[in-house]
Parts: sequence; C-alpha cells; structure tokens
Amino acid sequence: MGGLLRDRRAQLLLLLAPGVGYLLVFFGGPLLSALIGSFRQDDGSFTLVFYERIFTRASMMRGLSTSIYYGVMPVIVSLAASVPLALLIRRSFFGRKLFSGLYKLPMAVPGIIVGLMVIVVFERGGFLDRLVAPLGLGLPKLVRDDWGIGVILASVWKQVPFMTLIITSAFAAIPEDIRNAARTLGASRLKTFFIVEVPLAMPGITAAILLTFIGSMGSYAIPDIVGPPTARPLSVLMVKEFNQGRFNQVYAMGMVLSLFAVSVLLLYYSLTSRIGTGQNRGDAS
Amino acid sequence: MSELEICNITKDYGPSRALHPVSIAVERGEFVTILGPSGCGKSTLLRILTGITQPSGGEIHLGGKRIDQAPPEARDVAMVFQSYALFPHMSVAGNLAFGLKMKKVRKDERARRMAHALEICNLAGLVDRMPRQLSGGQQQRVALARAIVMQPSLLLFDEPLSNLDAKLRDTLRHELTELHRRIGATSLYVTHDQAEAMAMSDRIVVMNEGRVVETGTPLELYRAPKHVFTATFLGQTNLLPVVARGAEAQLPWGQSVALDAPATGDIQVSVRPENIDICADEAGSGTVCAVSFMGANALYTVEIGGRRIRVSQSGVEHLIETGRRVTLQFPGPVHRLNGTTAQEAA
Repeated sequence: MGGLLRDRRAQLLLLLAPGVGYLLVFFGGPLLSALIGSFRQDDGSFTLVFYERIFTRASMMRGLSTSIYYGVMPVIVSLAASVPLALLIRRSFFGRKLFSGLYKLPMAVPGIIVGLMVIVVFERGGFLDRLVAPLGLGLPKLVRDDWGIGVILASVWKQVPFMTLIITSAFAAIPEDIRNAARTLGASRLKTFFIVEVPLAMPGITAAILLTFIGSMGSYAIPDIVGPPTARPLSVLMVKEFNQGRFNQVYAMGMVLSLFAVSVLLLYYSLTSRIGTGQNRGDAS
Repeated sequence: MSELEICNITKDYGPSRALHPVSIAVERGEFVTILGPSGCGKSTLLRILTGITQPSGGEIHLGGKRIDQAPPEARDVAMVFQSYALFPHMSVAGNLAFGLKMKKVRKDERARRMAHALEICNLAGLVDRMPRQLSGGQQQRVALARAIVMQPSLLLFDEPLSNLDAKLRDTLRHELTELHRRIGATSLYVTHDQAEAMAMSDRIVVMNEGRVVETGTPLELYRAPKHVFTATFLGQTNLLPVVARGAEAQLPWGQSVALDAPATGDIQVSVRPENIDICADEAGSGTVCAVSFMGANALYTVEIGGRRIRVSQSGVEHLIETGRRVTLQFPGPVHRLNGTTAQEAA
C-alpha cells in the first residue's frame, strides 16, 4: 500500500478519481449504455436498423431537419433581438434598473408554460386576435403553423434574456478606453462597433449562440404544444417512441441528436481557438 | 492665433463643477504639460479635447477651426492612453494600420508612415506580435506609434508612463522628449508627476480643483511661482510668513533676508531647501532634528523659532549630526508669493 502510494501515477489516478470518476459513472456510463443499446436487437445481436430507420424513414428525416430548424431559427431571431437589447441596457435611461430586473424573468418560466402562453396570446381567437378584431384585422396562423412560427416565438421569448445576459457582459468586459481609442483614431460609432467591439465580444456571443442552439434543439415541451402536427422534431418523436416502449430506437435518436450538438460544439472550439491566436495578423501591407 | 486655443471650457456633472472656465493656448510644435493632483480635472480636459466627453460650455479651436462640437473621429487629434488601449485582437501592424484605414490613407502612404513610426518607436522586430505578447514598455511604445502614425495636429498624452516601473519610466521619458524633438508635433501631456513635467515640457500649466493655477516654463514656475500651490506642488519648499520692509524682510525668528520683489507688511515667501546654507555653530539658534544623506546631497530638517525648515546641502563632506546647533544663511534673495491660495488665483 505504502509502495503504491509512493508511485507517482497511482497518486495521480487517486487524486483524479473523485472528478473523473464522477463523470465516468454518471455521464459516461449512461451514454455508453445508450450507445450500446442503440446497436442492439431485443435478442442481443448487433444491428444498425435503428440508425437506418432515422436516415430512411420520411418522418424521421423530417424530424431531424425540424430539430435543426428549431435549433437554428430561434437563435437567429434571438440574436437579432439580444444584441440591440444588450447595447440598450449599457446606456442609462429612465427605469433602467427595473427593466434590467424584469427582462430576466422569462428565464425562470418553464418551457411548457411559455408554450401555453403563446397559445393564449397568438392562437386564432386568442388574446391578440381579439384585440385587433375590432379594427377589422385578423391574425395569421401563428400557432401549430407549418413554419413553426409559434415554436420560434416561444423559444425566442425564453432565450432572449439568457442571450442578452451573456452578450451584455461580453460587451461590458471591453475596456472603455479601447472604444475611445478607436473613436479618436477616426472610427465612427458604427465602425467601432463592428471592427472593435463585436470581434472582442465574439467569444461571449458564440457561447450564447451555442448554448441556446443546443437548448432549443433538444427542447420537447414547446414544439409538442405549439408546433405543427405535420413536422415533429426528433425530441418529440423520441418521447413518442419511448411511450411505445421502443427504447433502442430512442437511444439511436438520442445519439444522433447528441452527435449533432457535439459537432456544433467542436466547430465552436475550432473557431474560437483560431480567433484567439492570430486574427488580423501581418497587416502591414 | 495659437495652434490650439482652449477658451473658457467648463464641465459640470450634475450640480458639481469638474472644470471651471479653463483657457489654455498651445503654440504649434510646443510641448505643454498639464500638471496637477488627481481629481484636478486634467484628464477630463483631455477627454473633452478628444471629443469623448462633451464640454458644458466654452470653445476649442485647433489649427484655426472650431472643433468642440465635432465627433472624435472628425478631429485631427490622437491620444496615448494611460491603459495603452491597444486593440487586443490585432497585431502591432494591425493596431498601427487601424487609424490610417479609418482615415482612408492610401496603401503606399500607409506603408511608408507605418515603417517610419515603427522605426522611430524602436518596434521594428515586433510588427507581427499581438499586444499580449509584449511587455508593458513595448505596449506603451506601440500606443505611441499608433498615435504618431496619424500625424495629428494635436498629440495628447494621458499619464502614459504611470503604469511603468521607475527605471523604464525614466528611459521612456527620454525617448518621448527625443521623439518630440524629431517629429515636432503639438503636444499636450497630462501628468501628476512634477519631475516628469519639469523634465519634458516647454511650458507647464498647473491645475488644481478644476482651475488653471498658473502657467510658465519649468524654470519660471520652479524659481518664481506666483502661488502657494505651485510652490508646494513643484518640488519641495519652505513657506514662511515674513514682515516686509521694502527690499528686506524679517523672518519669524528675527533674521533678516533680501526679497526678490519689494513689498511692505505681512507677506509669504517661498524658499527652496537648496537656497539655504547650513553651518554648524554652537551659538546658532537652530537645531538639526533629522538628517538624511541622499548621495548627491544631504537633506536636513532644522528646528528654528518653533518652525521646521528643510535644507538641502550638496557636495557634502561631513554630515552635521542630529541635535547639533546650527545657523541658517540665505545667500540669495527669497521669493515673494503673490496669491495665498489656489482659489485666489482663478
């Protein structure tokens, strides 16, 4: 025992055990068992049939593309709302304190409630529809519509605060003097923003994009409640399969969805590491 | 008309006034330092000149054009920031090219100016480095190069050396003076370091509590300050109340001295420690309370007539020990101060 403890490598393993061990048991274990499950027939033999189904069946292919669509679209819309919001919060205006407290509220609201809210407000015959009805106007179909606008609206409502929070702090981390230096060197407010501030805030912005993308791609409650019945994302299809007891199929779908999220993550890492080392290098010409 | 004219510039933050009407004129090619303690409004004034801060009142003219309403990017002014404020995502070359690109300087002209700026700031080998790969002194030189490459009508410095250690500060101070001699840009330099101000400037503007106290060459301000604030802020001095009778005055302990400007009645004089001679004398009326040997000179604190007087003696061969009786002599006339407080000056 004493000899073992003196061994440098044994010491290291022992020291790493609490952290790495926890990850292995509670994260690696389930992932591995799901991975194995996705390749197994009920009788225990190896098969690729569950993966084959995902990439051949029309409903599954549609599910995959819908998942990506529900991941990407809300991120684009949220980003378009969050960046101006982040810039607005940086300025001082009347009621700023109240506003910066209030805008964070949607983060605490569960997805299912957001879904129901979207139905109450945007459904035909709902709150907004009745509000504009006296003007002779009617709301287009926004809930369970083919373009999934209801889903996008609900996801955006939930994502904007989180994104704004991260992007605000990313911009706040840029020293005021750097902004001033750009201005004194002849850059307008707009140019300073795009050439100096956005590149410097980029790590924060991409992190926000990534996290909200993965979150909305995997969300279940919102697309199930306000999404169109014709196009269901993989997350919703997974629950359907699960309820019918087809666990191996669920594992395979989960793997595909995770693979997608992980590849986006890897893409993010490769992009940010490149930004870190040498942007605008050798600009002497 | 001077190259830079600051006329009655004021700045209010709510009810509190950061700058009382301030007027300064800087000639073309002149190196002027604004010297004052922290919070005296000197940095605010610099920010107003760049256009980052809006003045509450007054006018600024640069090269005959009024610029106080123009946005920062439309002014022909470049600034070296205390924090350097280099763009961390751009190389040294990218930092230097930034302003030139913004002002749409042609490519060949850009390359020529950048090569020149890199050469005079000793940055030749560092063109491709990122700011975080540079030492503090190198970063400061890049900040300087980034400003001079713009060939601005006005070059501003906001305490550019205060983040560096003493030795490096000394080296860069010499480099800055040398650089100014070579490029001759109209420069306004802000610092709270009186030694820096005296060593570098053509003229010093002393500021305190949002007002200009007085302006003059380093020699004038050191030898003949008008105000107590200047006398005490620039170097060390002894302030003494005296009773004046024409060209002579009587010190509080009865000794008579010559005045540099005749006066009558109760006035205040400023005597630099190096303008007093100290002499060991058992019958003397002063007592040495403390002595510190500085190498080039020795600093004595002498108690005389209930006051403590600082005396500096150079070329010392023997120190006078603490507790010894001494006499003080004033070989030259002592300097008579005009105003009594900085407020009176404004």
